[in-house]
Amino acid sequence: MAQVLMVDDSSTVRNEVCDFLKSNGLTVTPAIDGKDGLDKLRADPAIRLVISDVNMPNMDGLTMAEKIRGELKNAAVHVIMLTTENSPAMKERGKAAGIKGWIVKPFNGGAVLATLKKLVTA
Amino acid sequence: MLVVLSFVAISAIGGYAVFQSRGNASEVKTVTEGIVPSTLASSDLVAQLKDVQLATMNLIAAPDQNIAQQAQEQLTAGKARLQAGLDYQLKHADSATQRGLIQEAHDSLQDYFSSIDDAARFKLAGKNDLANATFYAGVSQYQVNLQQNIQALRVEKSRSTDAATAALNQNLSRTVTTLSGVTLITVLALFTMGILLYRQITRPISRMQHMMSEIATSQDFTRRVPVDQQDEIGKSIIAFNTMIAKIEENSILLKQKTNDIQTMLQNIPQGILTLTEGGLIHHEYSAHLESILETRDIAGRTLPDLVFSDTTLGSDILSQIDAAVGSCIGEDVMNYEFNEHLLVGEIEKRMPDGRVKILDLNWSPITDDADTVVRLILCVRDVTELRKLAAEANEQKRELEIIGEILAVSQDKFHEFIAGAIKFVDENEQLIREHAKHDSETIAQLFRNMHTIKGNARTYGLHNLTNIVHEAEQTYDALRKPNPDIAWDPASLREELAGVRAAIDRYARINEVSLGRKGPGRRGSIERYLMVEKAQIQETLHRLETVNTGNLHELIAARNAVHKILRLLGTEEIEETLAGLLESLPSLADELGKETPLVKIVDNGYVVRNQASGTLKNVFMHLFRNSMDHGLESPDERVALGKPVAGTIRLAMNVVDKQLQLRMSDDGRGLALGRIRERALDKGLIEADAALSDEEIARLIFRPGFSTAAKVTEVSGRGVGMDAVQSFIKREGGQITLRFLDEEVGADFRRFETVVCLPENIAIAVDAGAGSAATAAASVAEAKPAQQNSVAGA
Repeated sequence: MAQVLMVDDSSTVRNEVCDFLKSNGLTVTPAIDGKDGLDKLRADPAIRLVISDVNMPNMDGLTMAEKIRGELKNAAVHVIMLTTENSPAMKERGKAAGIKGWIVKPFNGGAVLATLKKLVTA
Repeated sequence: MLVVLSFVAISAIGGYAVFQSRGNASEVKTVTEGIVPSTLASSDLVAQLKDVQLATMNLIAAPDQNIAQQAQEQLTAGKARLQAGLDYQLKHADSATQRGLIQEAHDSLQDYFSSIDDAARFKLAGKNDLANATFYAGVSQYQVNLQQNIQALRVEKSRSTDAATAALNQNLSRTVTTLSGVTLITVLALFTMGILLYRQITRPISRMQHMMSEIATSQDFTRRVPVDQQDEIGKSIIAFNTMIAKIEENSILLKQKTNDIQTMLQNIPQGILTLTEGGLIHHEYSAHLESILETRDIAGRTLPDLVFSDTTLGSDILSQIDAAVGSCIGEDVMNYEFNEHLLVGEIEKRMPDGRVKILDLNWSPITDDADTVVRLILCVRDVTELRKLAAEANEQKRELEIIGEILAVSQDKFHEFIAGAIKFVDENEQLIREHAKHDSETIAQLFRNMHTIKGNARTYGLHNLTNIVHEAEQTYDALRKPNPDIAWDPASLREELAGVRAAIDRYARINEVSLGRKGPGRRGSIERYLMVEKAQIQETLHRLETVNTGNLHELIAARNAVHKILRLLGTEEIEETLAGLLESLPSLADELGKETPLVKIVDNGYVVRNQASGTLKNVFMHLFRNSMDHGLESPDERVALGKPVAGTIRLAMNVVDKQLQLRMSDDGRGLALGRIRERALDKGLIEADAALSDEEIARLIFRPGFSTAAKVTEVSGRGVGMDAVQSFIKREGGQITLRFLDEEVGADFRRFETVVCLPENIAIAVDAGAGSAATAAASVAEAKPAQQNSVAGA
């Protein structure tokens, strides 16, 4: 019964973000790519927030976000992307997939924590 | 109102039509229910009469009583019917003629009936002949009369019926005509009303619509649609005008606000721009941005192109900024919070001419009602000057700290520390130079030496120095480890050592120059004086520590204040320097049998470094004594000459031509040129026939051993007079001259002044601005004495 799903193929980023969120009182489930993320989300309805990398093998973050709304018909979970770049095309696709926010790497825990906590309890 | 009018008109027409048709209907009813049946009934009368006649005839002709009785009954019934028919006719008579005819018929009927009755009576009485006679003579006669009457009535009735029908027809045709007329009138009225409506409604509406569109397209909200009438349209126009007035009010407010913002953007001394979707710079930005970035080409460009070009930002940082900006605009404001930390706050930007500007960047989002970031606002401030000042202030702060540290150490101990530290640094330098390769013994020695300097510096609380020495010591410490991380690099070690030496030199220099504590130590007034300054230093340090480094004015003020303190450290007013001398004047005057002179000192806003105070004291002790001994006359002489009993000695200090100039003069008898020449002859300094100018004679007083006093007083004339003075001054890098103030060439006594020049750095302007102004004013005053009158010493 986790609150946050952290999806990133890089174990460094994944562990860092997971550790940070855990140390700040959130329960986190890690996932290694979009496919894994979808499975974990399917298995755990308590997840309120998905933080995901964009570029990943098997299934990228944007596709996963689209499938969350489409296949899973899960409109309640908040999806936030971790990214290094930002193009208008990406933003448009993200908007259509109901992506709520974009966190540009490097991830600044302090700046995002309050908002993330709000999203988890909302 | 028009609608109401049309409704009334149409109702009136309808009402009239209804009224007319009602009238016609009742007429028709009268004709069909009254006149026509009564006419038909009049025809019935004839038949009824015939029935009565027939019954009468039957009675008369009845063969027996029974039949007669039956006929009698028939007759009675026929009579009743006839009577009723006539009564009906009377009731339904609709003219006097008819009534007259009926009356006549009635009368005939009465006669007829009485004849019948007579005949019947005769019959019933059995008198058949009499009955027959009565019947034919009376009854038939009356029957003919009655028949004629009824016939006349029938004719009259028919005529009446025709008349009624004709009247009815006429009435109907009149109704048709009236209704046609009314319809025509109505059509006309409606047409008129249509025109009126067009004029009253359609035209004003289309005019209103036209005006409204015009106002809407021209955006000229000062215009109003004219109100011609007070109907619904008029009211709508008034409402529209009210709305336009509101819009005008709002648009004026909006214009005012826009204007305010424009004015702000034009005048605010800050670079302000906004970023729109796609990271493009909006065309509305503050004018000052152009002067910061030194370009007019701003609108529509991107930040990496305009602001971040020629900066020290790497491409990775630039792409982060780009992604952060892109992630915020058009998205929920939370994205700004997520990525704000990636937006850089300060950059160093190289201008085309090579200057580097430090720009402070301040970002904030502009959001709409839905908390979506619509634009990012960026304030750009050129903080180059501010940073420079802050660095300066920091440097001054450090200097003040160092001063504070030095002052806490006694002068001799400090001197000893500096001498020791320099010795160790020298030794280390030599060690490094002598060893091209790593050598444990050498490194141990280097470390020990540096450790000693650090220990001593720490003992004396010289923290700024300790920090620098510590760095060098750490390097040696790293080198002396079994497997050092760093290599033996003489060049970098020497560089580091040079840093330590510079720091020690700085302490030494501050001690000597700012604090005037040269050498191993002088006790007394200087130390006491510096103790007083310490409080001031602490106050200034505090001021520097609390200064708002973001505020240029505050920073400048603090810097100036600190600068002043630093400048004035180790200085004193000339009056203070000469205080001891001035205090001794009354006793000196007593000794010489003279009045205590008035001393007037003008310092023109300058103070002197107390390094020079010893020299100044010595020089002016001699000059004042000379002035009082040789220059100022005895009270008796002065009274005889009309001068004030007490003489006046003037001393003016100023900076002229990059020199500290001290000009001293008195109102005594002047320079005794005759006696100087005699004395020089006596001393064999000149030949008897030497042709000397006044200036050359004046210069003789600087010759060693020259003395002019008739007897050697206890005050001056000990032969160490002016030549000693001159040597003091020369030792400080200065010179002394005499300058004549009058034009009496060849006279025995000439008015003069003594000009002592010293290096400029001995003088410090208390207030930098006022000092230079005083210099300028003094320069003008200085221009007066002629240059050829100047008498340079030696």
